Amino acid sequence: MGPVLEVRNLTKRFGGLTAVAGLDFELREGEILGLIGPNGAGKTTIFNIVAGVFGADAGEIRFAGEPILGLPPHEIARRGIMRTFQHNRPFGGMPVLENVLVGAHTRFRFNPFSRKSSLEETERRRRAEELVAFVGLGELRDADVGTLSFGQGRLLEIARALAGEPRAILFDEPAAGLTPAELDRLAAIVRGIASRGIAVLLIEHDMRFLLPLASRVVVLNFGARIAEGTPQEVRLQRAVMDAYLGDAAAQ
Amino acid sequence: MRLAAWIGVFAALAALPFFLGSYHNDVYRKMLLWITLALGYNFLFGICGQVAFSHFAFYGIGAYSVVILLFQVNLPLPIAIVLGIVICVLLALAVAIPATRLEGFYLALVTLALAQLFIVVLNEGGAVTGGTGGIANYRLPPILGWRIAGPAYTVVIVALLAATLAVLWRLDRSWFGRACRAVRDNPEAAAAMGVDVARTKVIVFTLTSALAGVAGMVYAFVDNTVNPPIFGLDNAFLILFMVIVGGAGRHAGAAIGAILLFLLPFWLAPLVGHHHQLVFGALVLAAILVQPKGLVGLWDRFSR
Amino acid sequence: MQDFLELSLSATASGCIYGLVALAYLLMIRPTGIINFAVGEWAMLGAFGGFFFLTRFEFPYLLGMAAVVALMLLVGWGTERLAVRPLVEKGAPLLAPILALLGMLVIFREVISVSFPPDPHPVPYAFEIQHQKYFIIAVTALVFAGAWLFFEKTLWGKSFEAVALNRRAAALMGINLSRVTAAAFAGGAGAAGLAGLLVSPNVSAHYLMGVPLAIQGFTALVIGGVGRVEGALLGGLLLAFAEQLTTRYAPIPSGYAQGVPLLFLMIFLLIRPTGLLRARGA
Repeated sequence: MGPVLEVRNLTKRFGGLTAVAGLDFELREGEILGLIGPNGAGKTTIFNIVAGVFGADAGEIRFAGEPILGLPPHEIARRGIMRTFQHNRPFGGMPVLENVLVGAHTRFRFNPFSRKSSLEETERRRRAEELVAFVGLGELRDADVGTLSFGQGRLLEIARALAGEPRAILFDEPAAGLTPAELDRLAAIVRGIASRGIAVLLIEHDMRFLLPLASRVVVLNFGARIAEGTPQEVRLQRAVMDAYLGDAAAQ
Repeated sequence: MRLAAWIGVFAALAALPFFLGSYHNDVYRKMLLWITLALGYNFLFGICGQVAFSHFAFYGIGAYSVVILLFQVNLPLPIAIVLGIVICVLLALAVAIPATRLEGFYLALVTLALAQLFIVVLNEGGAVTGGTGGIANYRLPPILGWRIAGPAYTVVIVALLAATLAVLWRLDRSWFGRACRAVRDNPEAAAAMGVDVARTKVIVFTLTSALAGVAGMVYAFVDNTVNPPIFGLDNAFLILFMVIVGGAGRHAGAAIGAILLFLLPFWLAPLVGHHHQLVFGALVLAAILVQPKGLVGLWDRFSR
Repeated sequence: MQDFLELSLSATASGCIYGLVALAYLLMIRPTGIINFAVGEWAMLGAFGGFFFLTRFEFPYLLGMAAVVALMLLVGWGTERLAVRPLVEKGAPLLAPILALLGMLVIFREVISVSFPPDPHPVPYAFEIQHQKYFIIAVTALVFAGAWLFFEKTLWGKSFEAVALNRRAAALMGINLSRVTAAAFAGGAGAAGLAGLLVSPNVSAHYLMGVPLAIQGFTALVIGGVGRVEGALLGGLLLAFAEQLTTRYAPIPSGYAQGVPLLFLMIFLLIRPTGLLRARGA
């Protein structure tokens, strides 16, 4: 069983600046992989390249063996990679449940005018309700997204991404802006997702959140990998710890 | 149960013209056509979030196409209709495909130019389009030996409205309608969820423009005359205003807005003469400043 | 040759008018992103202002012109206050003020239509009829020079640029966003009103003159690009020359000349939407 996502020699330049420099890493089924590094290390750029927002100047990305580098975001989603946004992007004109149903867009098969389409709609709606309950937004399924708190909006992002039945899910700084209680719930949700066999890729700044959660960590700086391993292994590499993780992680 | 109610409503709408005098029949028909147009525009603008000013131009393209193909090229009616639809579809694709690659307001601007260009072409079209005077004094050819006119033709319009509503309603409630709303609310997130944003926009634009074109073909035999002033920019704005005032995004909103802004000039004539546009402008401004959900939004608020 | 020179003069003068309208759009688009189609009606108001002050009340020309500009500054400020500021403060999406301004477009037109009889109203020339074109070119040159200096050299102008680049950052730097927006709208109305005033002696003030000018001005803007003030003038001149050369030398009926700006608009939007000139530093 090969890796779900393989990134090889990925390079991206913006004008004179090399944001990503020959990066290699893999994401395996059911694992929680953290991509960490200081500001400017290239985490967001890499995330956006995998998600199809940018192309790259060199390298390749394979998902379940198929090359995906350069595909637009909707094609990436169709292949089974879903993502969340760091600054929540809900669909303001729809209630919570509808938002989640948009996530299932790639799973709808039937022509809107066919009879089977109504049945499919009912089934998808039921599954979406389960997801909304899974992330803990059960009572809010008909709520206007404008009434959600920041943390609830984050949970909506997750439910929406899960609705696509992805094989891999990309989290863009999911811990940002959450309270400690919300962080605990988020960690539980992420573990729940990984336990279902979905590969999880997280970029994250908050080490206290990430290190206990991730099964593996890839440390980046200047667009390249400088260390890789379990959180314990990486934490012990002195250079990494000093330069990038700071005192909080050293405990 | 719901379906039976709808059938009842449309049966009543279809029966009504047989009880109306010819003046009221004329007003009624035009109102139904405006509702049809507003429903289509609502799908494009209210549900999919695309601003365009060409909706009424496609109404005109449909009308002129069928008249020209029938009476100048002398094609049989079914072929003229099909060909007219093909023309609308091709033109819509030609505009939408490049325009939707771009962000924001570009579709609006290109369609504004298209609408104006259409009028210029009509005015300069010489013998083909009848120039500034247009084409008049023709009649719907007999269908299966029967000349459909008067209240019977109004039934055709009711059928057009029913068909338009049926198609748009179904689409709206399906995953496609949801994808359209996602494109409206947040195109970037929609793409991340697997929605092909550009393709969705092109499909919606082409579909609604074709629907407007078909409505135009039906319109061509209402007054049995087509000329450039009918299809000018004022009406393009009016369609937008109808949808905004009624409540963008809701079929009921489009219908209410169409009925209200269509009938308002008749009621206001004693007060403001030809200047009902002033009231429209004021209503639109009020709607956007005070209640962006339009009249339907107000109704929802009061019925809670 | 003589023919060509006359055509060039005429095209330059027309181009200046389009350029002024394009400038009006630009002044509002840059700091706010709002496309204000009502600029055409503002030009129409400027023309009617000219009729009012210069024909009806027979002010001396320059005084009348100043009065029109002052009136337009007020109209621009008022429009922003009524149709834009409440929406921006509410956090409405960008589309909302654009649509509200469409409503205002119709209101402006109808107010004039109600207040004046429907015939065209004469507006006097600045000096003699044959000198009008030079006057238009001179005034436009002054306005553009002023606009260029404003953006390049003054602190106010730089703050406009800052808002154009990043509203949030500009606000954090202490720039008063609503003041910039109000000034943008006032300036836009002034430029548009001036365009209307200058073009009206030839065509007379008429309440339907707004929309064609709005489209021509917008086309000029798209051709020249939103990034630089000079682009508006360049776009206007290119458009005017294309129009007049086509009318004069192309073997098609003259009515189609109206289609030239529209075709240009569509072509540029579809092929080169950012215009010919790039913004500084882009």
